[in-house]
Amino acid sequence: MERRYLFIIDRAPYGDWSGRETLDMALSAAAFDQPVSLAFSGQGVHWLRAEQAPQGIEQKTGSRNLAAASLFGIEALYVPKAAFDRLGTAFDSGLEITPVASMTELAHQFSDVVRL
Amino acid sequence: MPAPEAARFALVITGAPYTSQAPQTALQFARAAVAQGHTIDRVFLYGDGVHLASTLTCPPSDEADWPAQWQSFLKTHAVPATCCIASALRRGLLDEGEARRYEKPAANVAAPFVVAGLGDWLEATSQADRTLYFNGSH
Repeated sequence: MERRYLFIIDRAPYGDWSGRETLDMALSAAAFDQPVSLAFSGQGVHWLRAEQAPQGIEQKTGSRNLAAASLFGIEALYVPKAAFDRLGTAFDSGLEITPVASMTELAHQFSDVVRL
Repeated sequence: MPAPEAARFALVITGAPYTSQAPQTALQFARAAVAQGHTIDRVFLYGDGVHLASTLTCPPSDEADWPAQWQSFLKTHAVPATCCIASALRRGLLDEGEARRYEKPAANVAAPFVVAGLGDWLEATSQADRTLYFNGSH
């Protein structure tokens, strides 16, 4: 059975490590040529913001990892349409972001949905 | 998509014992699955879940010892189990090899857990009929 993976990040970028570890999982799967997409919801949409500067809290920016997503073969970055309409202009213009009307319908297109 | 009659499961635990319910819930699922003839292909500890592999956990005597119960289950049913190396190193879970490599004074990863990378997760999840994720917050 062909697997298609959707990783959902629903927590803010620097509050805990779950988003970073979700991204590690997604990049690993993509590096092994699995079909992988990422979705950002809730506070997780802030991962997509431009000009993140977490040096003040001694953390590395997540943007750099996200910018590498397409190089690793990650197929799409999804975000709920409502969040895209509200925050789209603040998002990193270097990322190709796809708004979706329904996260539930999106999830149904994948065999494996991972939310840590 | 219904699971086959005798399904193969991979379990990913990302919640720590005594911080979350994840290890207990996963163990109860694993026991029930095996009792009904299903197979647990692999258990993968990730994120805070790696604390389940610690040899140094000492719960009070009137509380369940979840790490010991998991070790017993894994040995009894010969289930391979991996502790993710990146998660483990960050959180102070080291096997003998990593303790030597980083010149630390002790190793604390319990058998039968082995320390390895996300390749173990990907192999298990690729081959299993279903992969279940047990975390502490959803």
